Amino acid sequence: MTVTRDIPLSPTTGEPVSVVARRNRLGVWLCIISDVTGVVALLIAYAYLWALNVNGAWAPPKDAFADPVTFWVVALGGIVTAALIWFGYRTVARGGRGVAILALAVLVVLATFILQIVQLSTFPFDIQDGGYASATFWLCIGAAFHLSLVLTLVIGVVGRTRAGLINAANPYHARLVAMYATWAAIAIFLGALFATTMTVSPNTQSPPFGEFQQVPASASASPAASASPAS
Amino acid sequence: MSTATVSIHEQADVPQPVQHGAPGGFVRHCNILTGIAAGLVLAVVTYFVGSLWLVPWGTTTANYVQVGNDALWAATFIAWVIGFMAGIGAFAGPIRWSLGRDLTHADAEYLAGKDLGRARYWKYTTDHKVVGLQYLVMALVLFGVGGLLAMMIRTELGVTWKEVFSPDFYNAIIGTHGIVMIIAMIIAVAGPLGNFILPIMIGARDMAFPRLNALSFWLLFAAVPPLLISLAMGGIRDGWSVYQPLSAQAPTGAIGYQVTIIVFAFSTGIAAVNLITTTVTMRARGMTWNRVPVFAIGIIASSIMGLIWFPMFQYSQVLALSDRAFGSSFFNPVNGGSVWLYENLFWLLGHPEVYVVVIPATAAMMEIAVVFMRKPLFSYKIAVAGFAGVVGISAIVWVHHMYMTGWAPAANYPFMLSTELISIPFGFLVLVLLGTIWRGKAWTSLPMMAVYVLLWNKVVGGITGVYLSDTPVDQYMHGSMFVVAHFHFMLMGAGLFGAMGAIVYWFPKMTARMFDERIGSIGFWTAFFGFQLTFMSMFVAGLQGQPRRVLQFDNAFNISNWLSTIGAYIIGIGMLIFLAAVITSWRSGVKAPANPWASTSLEWQTQTPVPLENFPVLPVVTSDPYDYGVPDPYDTASSKDQAKQTVGAR
Repeated sequence: MTVTRDIPLSPTTGEPVSVVARRNRLGVWLCIISDVTGVVALLIAYAYLWALNVNGAWAPPKDAFADPVTFWVVALGGIVTAALIWFGYRTVARGGRGVAILALAVLVVLATFILQIVQLSTFPFDIQDGGYASATFWLCIGAAFHLSLVLTLVIGVVGRTRAGLINAANPYHARLVAMYATWAAIAIFLGALFATTMTVSPNTQSPPFGEFQQVPASASASPAASASPAS
Repeated sequence: MSTATVSIHEQADVPQPVQHGAPGGFVRHCNILTGIAAGLVLAVVTYFVGSLWLVPWGTTTANYVQVGNDALWAATFIAWVIGFMAGIGAFAGPIRWSLGRDLTHADAEYLAGKDLGRARYWKYTTDHKVVGLQYLVMALVLFGVGGLLAMMIRTELGVTWKEVFSPDFYNAIIGTHGIVMIIAMIIAVAGPLGNFILPIMIGARDMAFPRLNALSFWLLFAAVPPLLISLAMGGIRDGWSVYQPLSAQAPTGAIGYQVTIIVFAFSTGIAAVNLITTTVTMRARGMTWNRVPVFAIGIIASSIMGLIWFPMFQYSQVLALSDRAFGSSFFNPVNGGSVWLYENLFWLLGHPEVYVVVIPATAAMMEIAVVFMRKPLFSYKIAVAGFAGVVGISAIVWVHHMYMTGWAPAANYPFMLSTELISIPFGFLVLVLLGTIWRGKAWTSLPMMAVYVLLWNKVVGGITGVYLSDTPVDQYMHGSMFVVAHFHFMLMGAGLFGAMGAIVYWFPKMTARMFDERIGSIGFWTAFFGFQLTFMSMFVAGLQGQPRRVLQFDNAFNISNWLSTIGAYIIGIGMLIFLAAVITSWRSGVKAPANPWASTSLEWQTQTPVPLENFPVLPVVTSDPYDYGVPDPYDTASSKDQAKQTVGAR
């Protein structure tokens, strides 16, 4: 194989960086697929409990659902972050500096992350207050996890861009982070969609749970008594 | 597989980043001892700090002291994992990346264990061959622990005239045996062979992501102690499935299980990403998709299922841990939760996991069958279709585990149909093996014996599975010893015996020593005989109506249980003999030639021991992988006799 000098090579493996980038891109896609399944598990849990309203205990006390605006502001923060990282990546890939744009993405994702933590600590209910409270807490914990990951990655990208390691010839790491940030934004958006549109359960006739009555030992001796339905 | 070679550019030509300090950097100071020390320190600190804060929080907020106590233990176990990973150097790579200190070639070589000798097995080494051997030893240790627990279970059930263990402890060893063996089986083939053999088999220098490779193994290492410690904390008393609401009321040991599964799922996901990416993007030139060895296809199929379904299992445990540690209400019906939600999330992986185990073992047997029959694989395309069919249909079978729970009875019949459908692609795989063996002259050696054993066990396990997938039959069989015998035929009969055959086959390449087939065969066949006695008797007990997970039972089941227990001890003896063959062969076996089986696949074309970068020059593939004997598949004399002379010479 002939390798010309103008193709940047990976210092560790000696392959062209575009080959390594293609490999990394598939790896990130597979990580995203795995993450998708996890997020779907959370969404299934939310929708399942919302639809069943087991024991009439879906809604929090006094129907104090969370303020929907905060969910959407956090989702917007995630979307803007992803857009900025993509913009920064394209700027770098075209030969521009792009550091300022990526630094702005750091600020946006940091602010969004802080807002998410504030929302988690100021919910009008506790995690123990029924199905909605539990599921909503975990949707927001998931969002905070995604945001923290994006924050860490984009800080690294800014540092590497400033050091010249991410440049027009080798901009791939910025693209990988942009891909993940896009999925993170979608995940946060889906969480916001569920948490704001699926609040009051459609099942208003949920059967009560936990009202079984212990049949006294003397009564259970008679077949008729043991066969009688629990009240 | 015919090969040519192609030269690659010299590494010295590639511009290198600045070398900061000695190659390897911080990782030079890390090994398993620093990992354990850091894990223990962080765990102990977390426990003492947490006991001041978490336990009072649990008491005052939830009016239920267990919430705080469980949160404390969850934090302690998680601190152990984080501390261990930090101490072994797992975070050095990401930190270097974010600081812009990219690895030089010298760094990469140090991390791959170059010139480190045996110390590389105790470090965060990135060489796929080291990781493969680490996985092999880990699997053997886990099988040892799980097997010991199995012997305790059978001792209890065999001693029908008195209780050997307390009922609670008996339940704990049942649950721990189950999950330890499940973890061991999941890594048994894909861990050692997927890591060691697969990259060489496809003509790659390493895995796609070497550091993630090391990460997946050491995460597994860190995940195991919480599981084993849980035995001392009341254990896992609810079976390996740890159903709700039982586990919500179980002793603190359940926390260890939950943390283990959460961490193990990360390990499995990372390994799956690595195996798939390696096979898709790093194949040798000329290795088109119809030339990819079937073992690699099997590993991809298994990895896809693990990648997609493991997060469901992981999140079922995240939410269960949240219920216990924070008092949330995902699975607590009184407070709006649903136990059926748990069962659905759990079985979405719980059933595909069987295929995650069996598919790599089956693919390995296909690889072995062609070599020892000197025939092309019977219908490569049907084999691939079989793997694809199992992967696809495995997504829509999980409800058959819930027929008797009362969840959505109307769903029983569609899922009965889908479960029976999966026997078709599974049948493809059996037929491919049978077709490859058909009218062939077998080279009778231990790996080939494993092919026959796998076929028999898989057919028995598969057919009994079809019975259990029928809703009417399941009404009678559910929760009986018949079910236990069925899944042991699949997981142990097909999975473990297949793994044993595969390890014997690739042993010369992995250890540079020939496996002692004489002692190994004695152990293998002893274990096989004991296995049939144990689980055939268990089928009878199940048909008679003996329930599983029950300590005391009617005298009508005594004979079946005595036979099962005798069989289990025979398995134990057989496995110890086999283990002795592994250890003695590894330590002092005859040195292996590069290609003792005269195989045509790529992993046998490189030298033994395998050099650091696998091939002096990268190979180029110019023909199909299984061209034995073509155009006359029965003309086996030349290559086989030559290979026999090579092996016989030892």
